[in-house]
Amino acid sequence: MKTRKIALLMVTLLLAFSTVLAGCGGSNTNDTSGNAASGGESGDKDTVKLKVYLIGGPQRDLPMVQEEMNKYLMEKINTTVDITMIDWGDYSKRMPVITASGENYDIAFTSSWAYDYLPNATRGAFLPINDLLDKYGQGIKEQLDPRFLTGSQIDGQNYAVPVNKELASQWVWRFNKQYVDKYNMDITKIRTLEDLEPYLQQIKDNEPADITPLAVPKGFKPYLAFDFLLGDEFPVGINMNGDTGKYVNVLESEELKSSLKTIRKYYQAGYLRKDVATLEGIDNIKTGKWFVDREQTQPYAELGWSRSAGYDIVTTPMQDPVIFTGSATGAMHAISANSKNPERAMMFLNLLNTDPYLRNLINYGIEGTHYNKISDNVIEDLPAMKDGFQMPGFALGNLFLTYMHKEDPADKWEAFKEFNNSAKVAPSFGFNFNPDPVKTEVASISAIVKEFYPSIMTGAVDPDEHLPKAIEKLKAAGLDKVIAEAQKQYDEWKAANQK
Amino acid sequence: MQGIFKSLMKNKAFLLLVLPGAAWFIIFAYLPMFGTIIAFKDFRIHPGGFLESVLKSEWVGFKNFEFLFSTSDAYIITRNTILYNLGLIFLGLVLAVTLAIIMNELLNKRLAKIYQTAMFMPYFLSWVIISYFVFSFLSVEKGVFNQIIMYFGGDPVSWYSETGYWPYFLILLGLWKGAGYGSVVYLAAIAGIDRSYYEAAMIDGATKWKQIRYITLPLLRPLMIILTILAIGGIFRSDFGLFYQVPRDSGALYPVTNVIDTFVYRGLTIMGDTGMSTATGLYQSVVGLILVLLANYAVRKIEKDYAVF
Amino acid sequence: MSNLSEPIKRASAHTRRTGKKSRDLNAISPLSNVIFNIAIGLFALSCIFPFLFIVIISFTDEKTLAINGFKLFPEVWTLDAYRFLMESGQQMAQSFGVTLTVTVVGTALTLYLVTTYAYAISRKNFAQRRFFSFLAFFTMLFSGGLVPSYIVVTQVLHLRDSIWALILPSIMNAFYIIVMRTFFTTTVPDAVIESAKIDGATEFGIYTRIVLPISLPGIATIGLFSTLGFWNDWFNALLYIDNANLIPLQTLLIRIQNNMDFVVQNSSRVVSYDIASTLPTETVRMAMVVLATLPVALAYPFFQKYFIQGLTIGSVKE
Repeated sequence: MKTRKIALLMVTLLLAFSTVLAGCGGSNTNDTSGNAASGGESGDKDTVKLKVYLIGGPQRDLPMVQEEMNKYLMEKINTTVDITMIDWGDYSKRMPVITASGENYDIAFTSSWAYDYLPNATRGAFLPINDLLDKYGQGIKEQLDPRFLTGSQIDGQNYAVPVNKELASQWVWRFNKQYVDKYNMDITKIRTLEDLEPYLQQIKDNEPADITPLAVPKGFKPYLAFDFLLGDEFPVGINMNGDTGKYVNVLESEELKSSLKTIRKYYQAGYLRKDVATLEGIDNIKTGKWFVDREQTQPYAELGWSRSAGYDIVTTPMQDPVIFTGSATGAMHAISANSKNPERAMMFLNLLNTDPYLRNLINYGIEGTHYNKISDNVIEDLPAMKDGFQMPGFALGNLFLTYMHKEDPADKWEAFKEFNNSAKVAPSFGFNFNPDPVKTEVASISAIVKEFYPSIMTGAVDPDEHLPKAIEKLKAAGLDKVIAEAQKQYDEWKAANQK
Repeated sequence: MQGIFKSLMKNKAFLLLVLPGAAWFIIFAYLPMFGTIIAFKDFRIHPGGFLESVLKSEWVGFKNFEFLFSTSDAYIITRNTILYNLGLIFLGLVLAVTLAIIMNELLNKRLAKIYQTAMFMPYFLSWVIISYFVFSFLSVEKGVFNQIIMYFGGDPVSWYSETGYWPYFLILLGLWKGAGYGSVVYLAAIAGIDRSYYEAAMIDGATKWKQIRYITLPLLRPLMIILTILAIGGIFRSDFGLFYQVPRDSGALYPVTNVIDTFVYRGLTIMGDTGMSTATGLYQSVVGLILVLLANYAVRKIEKDYAVF
Repeated sequence: MSNLSEPIKRASAHTRRTGKKSRDLNAISPLSNVIFNIAIGLFALSCIFPFLFIVIISFTDEKTLAINGFKLFPEVWTLDAYRFLMESGQQMAQSFGVTLTVTVVGTALTLYLVTTYAYAISRKNFAQRRFFSFLAFFTMLFSGGLVPSYIVVTQVLHLRDSIWALILPSIMNAFYIIVMRTFFTTTVPDAVIESAKIDGATEFGIYTRIVLPISLPGIATIGLFSTLGFWNDWFNALLYIDNANLIPLQTLLIRIQNNMDFVVQNSSRVVSYDIASTLPTETVRMAMVVLATLPVALAYPFFQKYFIQGLTIGSVKE
């Protein structure tokens, strides 16, 4: 008897909330973009308000600048924008929730390191924009290095507009200049890990123990000229110096084996910190007690690094610049699949990437309030900028349109273009692997990698003993299956694109 | 139907009392629960809102659960999760009750209050911060432990690579952080015990220890049992920070620090698959539910009032 | 009952004044007292010690910290960390106000909802009590996940950018309910309630006039937990609030910290944003702990006075 009563009560409650449920299913159209009727037709000239999500800290003067932007945008394309800044740390957590909840926003920042472009595009979060680019984004296509667009395609479709900036990736060795000068080192001779040895020894022998010769944290890996399938924390890739049609197990390559011997030697010689395998981050720049570390560069990066460190840093390359598929996705703007005004959104993006006035307005603020112009292209910041309007320039659109500062070399943007042009394209450039068929294996492998990589790659343990163990465990988790699947998708993609 | 309606009317005073709370549960807890369906689907975004995305996504049965079981680590992570939780639950219970009883007996009440406040402090520290302190003790080069060892002529220990010590470290740290918070409930419970019971017992010649054993503990028993049953419900979940931040995500320690939550976190960073993470949560919840139902049933058999429901 | 409360009041007043029980006949021996004091004192010290360090580190110079590690007597003292945080000084004051409001209102609502619900399900003659106990308990184990909750709050209830988004999602808690229910069933004998009903009291009257006063320790416990919960919550704001005027203190601090971490970790990508390596990350982190913890640590003694045995007992005897 009692159970019947309980059951009946539960059924009533269930009915009650399923009615509420039904009610909320269709009701997400009037949410935030606040725009009732307009937007579907091409060339439709009703006023449209675009909802835009950008990454970065909230800015005090954003409303002021936004008003100026809207005045301009109304003239040009009868549009206004409503920008919301979401902070660096929160962005990747909040955007997926906003998207999945079905909110009708129009534009969002995306990239390989924030609100990950690839998985979200594959899952349907973004609108394919090839047609829109052709119709309304001609300006974008003109000024953008075409490799940006091909690199960020998934199955031939583009899902976001890349920001024109540095395209190639290049690892460099960074040196603490005071030691370079002290020992009169000719660092131009240094390129590989092995080349470093005599210099590391010199530092170790002659400097006090708290100067770290090779100051790297646990994410360090010896440079391998591989085109990785899923980033360098996943042991599958194409050997760029070998058979460029084949995906292999990186851990079984000769190059890695010999590099591991070297780094193991370095660890035992005391060139790295003893606890490197558990070191999340390293504060060498702050303390200044280091000789060499590594970093990814862009033209004139040393100037920026030196400026923020407070002392000089010089670099030499580990490799020639290469353009990977991932390089094209460093900063992009996607149009939401839920957007009600995709055409207008593309028009806005087109303007943002081609119109210097708009581009600098959103980046630096209002002339006279936030900065003063020294010459046509050079500006000087006013205090109001530091206090109220500091936007992350590289994430806002065509970087090459932005004003420069006094300290910047006059040929800065030329150097960027040169950097991009000189770079080699990786074999799998344009190919984006879909991990869904093997997602169980990928998850297991990712977890295992985190267990073994730090200690093996930094030389903290003996590779002869631990590498085989790692390989065995990875194979048991399905590494070969993943490699086969990667090869299959790659071959299909090559055939489809006649490469 | 008649019977139910009559019963509801008879209890209407109580129903009115639970109404606001029940409404809250329905809106904020039960309504969102339909989202757990995602665990069985390959979630893709469709224009038209979340509901449509969920409905239109493909069913994939139990595929999202596979990686929890097919991995060679499945046994390890499950074992670690359960053992650590059992240790923390039962030792935590003993510690909290002991602290509460002792503090209640201290002669200087002002001092007791100061101790209470002090013991509460670790609750405010995040595991990240605690991991810094642990590091300052266990660091190979400058850590306090190794300094002491070397002072006495021994060899420094690479603490973050030696698995043997960590089960003890982790349990001690977990207990330390939760002791203050855990003892508050018992303190409050003891405060509500009628002192005349103790006086009567003392007159009868009972020692302090006997009084605790025959008065305090039995009166605390309902609370202890219920809190333990509730804790069992979370037996497949772990305090992420303790198992991830404190060991500094050291690969060598994974065999003893890897629990279900850390395993899932490490596995899903590349793909961020919503279906798989929802599946994990569902798995943990279902196991917890089964265990609680069992425990609750067992307790009901012994003493009806001590059960959760 | 009123004739019993006088001696009780006197005894508790005496206890409060002197910190000693007026009748020591049942107390533990002085030796045991010393032993226990030492044991617990050491434990308490171990709990306080990190905080001491944290305060000191927050006044340490970042560079010295990086070079020398945590030291009780740092070589270089500085106010840099606090200065950095005070740059958002006005924001911080605003956030403090938000947190205060949310905590007070939230705790009040929680206490009301939790105690009424728990009282109802503690009464044996509530026919549906098992159902409602289960209704509450089930939510401790199962949750729908982030997105469905987000949808409920933003689309169904339209609470985005509203202070209620910081309060409402947290005002009910099955754990509190079950703890409170246990307090009710163990400290309030049925006999008392029965005799009150015979005297003609309503359920609500029994609740307010008899049960609540006896259960003060339990209510204080839930009040404490609830206060701490609201004070420390940073997640709700992260999801639902864009308006800078409604950001609570913890969210502000966590945001500052996440941003610092993020910028430092991704410094290669944000090269043009070249403040990364000079951020006083570690010392600021510690300063944040100090700012976030002190106010509420000072609130704890407020609840403590309800945990003294002898304050409320005796009033149950007929």
